[in-house]
Amino acid sequence: MKRAPSIFFYLPAGVVFSVFFWLPLGGLLLESFRPFTPGRIGAVSDAPLTLANYEELLTPSFLEFFVQTLRISLFASLVGLVFSFTLAYWITRRMSPRGRAIAIGFFVSLMFLSVLVRTYALELTFGAAGPFRAILLSFGVYPNSRGYIEVLVAAGLLHYIVPLATLTLLTTIQNVDPRLFDAAQTLGAPGWRAHLSVTLPLCRDGLLAAFLFSFAFSISAFVIPMILGKGRVLFVSNLIYNRFSEIADFPSGAAISAVLFAVSITIVYLTTRYVNRREAG
Amino acid sequence: MTKLSRRQALSATVAFGGVSMAGGLLGSPRPAAASTEITAVEWGGDVVDAMKQIEAKQNQVKVNWVLHQGGSGAILPKIKASWPHPEYDYVSGWEGSFNGMVKEDWLVPVTTQTVPNLADIPQKIIVKNGKGEWAAVPRAIGGIYCAYRKDTSPIEIKSIDDLFDSRLKGKICWPGPTQAMMLPLVALALHGGGNENNMEPGWALMKKLAQSGNIGRVGVTDTDFSTSLTSGETSVGYYSEPQLTAVAKSFPVVRLTKQEGVPTFLYQSGFAILKNRPNLEATLAFVNFCISPEMSSLYAEVAGEAPLNVKAKSPDALKHLAFTPQEFDKYVYVPDFNVVLSQQDAWSKRWESEIAPLL
Repeated sequence: MKRAPSIFFYLPAGVVFSVFFWLPLGGLLLESFRPFTPGRIGAVSDAPLTLANYEELLTPSFLEFFVQTLRISLFASLVGLVFSFTLAYWITRRMSPRGRAIAIGFFVSLMFLSVLVRTYALELTFGAAGPFRAILLSFGVYPNSRGYIEVLVAAGLLHYIVPLATLTLLTTIQNVDPRLFDAAQTLGAPGWRAHLSVTLPLCRDGLLAAFLFSFAFSISAFVIPMILGKGRVLFVSNLIYNRFSEIADFPSGAAISAVLFAVSITIVYLTTRYVNRREAG
Repeated sequence: MTKLSRRQALSATVAFGGVSMAGGLLGSPRPAAASTEITAVEWGGDVVDAMKQIEAKQNQVKVNWVLHQGGSGAILPKIKASWPHPEYDYVSGWEGSFNGMVKEDWLVPVTTQTVPNLADIPQKIIVKNGKGEWAAVPRAIGGIYCAYRKDTSPIEIKSIDDLFDSRLKGKICWPGPTQAMMLPLVALALHGGGNENNMEPGWALMKKLAQSGNIGRVGVTDTDFSTSLTSGETSVGYYSEPQLTAVAKSFPVVRLTKQEGVPTFLYQSGFAILKNRPNLEATLAFVNFCISPEMSSLYAEVAGEAPLNVKAKSPDALKHLAFTPQEFDKYVYVPDFNVVLSQQDAWSKRWESEIAPLL
């Protein structure tokens, strides 16, 4: 009996993915080339396509929004990676089986806790009217300063990144044979050198995955900068929301979305390529 | 293992079915069969509380409440996406959203025949469509003005210049570019000798205010503002009535509605009735009920916006929005809303490029 070609097994998923992912993205891209009349809602129908929505973005201030988003996201992702790797290593190598199960259960349950709840908890505790205000002021930290607000936004991102990245790195570290570390130390390498030359390179793929998950989440974060940013530290996602929901300028919102998508894809490609080259080299 | 006989199974089914039916009848929250269900979009907080109290005083209509999420414009893309089959019978809003919906030709024109209580509303304030027909039903009037918490503000504020006082560092909650139609920016323009047609003085003062470090929070939602002031994060704001009323319920608030040199803007809030809905008659009847003298008074007491029905009683707490003709000329500025609305996109983008980097 002839077996059905394997493509038939992938076709349903492919169709669903195309309909619910590529089609809307295509529609968004088309919308970004449509003109907008102020005071109206959405694009002008039946008007010729235009590049005006993209030309509007060629300003230093818009670049500043992107740089701010990338800067805070990158900072949170890298710091999150350091914390997560340390936590994942401790859980995997140092904890008893019972302790490991409790720790994993704790991180999994954190993932179930709403981002909104965690963000407001941070705002209430570390905000300008929170219980730590007096302590911050005694250290010369003004809770309404821009620098502090940026740190608070990064802390909000970390709240989500650390559990996610820790759970991602657990299996990576588990798959590294601990005897290799022992062997390095036996040959005279101090602990930190053994980690740098043995553990970290062997965890490269897991670290890359954890970083990309964290960065993807951070760069597209909306609620965290909206609440913790106090309207002064805005991410690109907040601009997109303003365009679509507040001003009804869909074409401009679509153009910003397209640019954000292109920048994100480029960063993922370059990062993956760099890591793979290092691995091959 | 216990076996279930056919007789036992039949008895259990009848008993279960009887209990379910009884529970359904007893537990049903629906009013008498005569009421029609409509879907309405309302503001949250005290406004929807007021509207629910109004709904409870009649039994012709049952309302399925949907709350605005963000500014009044946030609902418009949702309506556009589903047009010509909108999901809502009426949308509460103000001049900003009404004019947008009028331009899209979404609204049912209203008259004193279809909404009799409109006869008691000042006609000058009613939003019209391109054909001169009344396009929305006003219910109340609110203010956008400067106010501050007397107990936490380091200084008394008597003019726009006081907003730049260094003692107010981090103490101002200023509305974001999509809030309050950016009328506070128009207030700065007026202070600098401009107006909504010449906003350069306003932008210059806004940059100066942003650079001063006095803005602690930029409110991007109504809740931002009321939370910021009630928590004590900030003490001064230039915002709209329901939020200031919410703060004033618990804290002493000085409202600068009759302070020379600090402009007050008045806006109407009301009902925009959408076309192509199946329960138009019921919606019009409900809206008419809402703007009756008694319900207008109730709305004013609970929501904190002054009634527009001339026969309604305005509570003492809203005296700050009651103006004599002389006071109106002196303290209230009525901008050209067509200019304000058509500039929202440009002003918002200019805020992002010139003001946001300074905050």
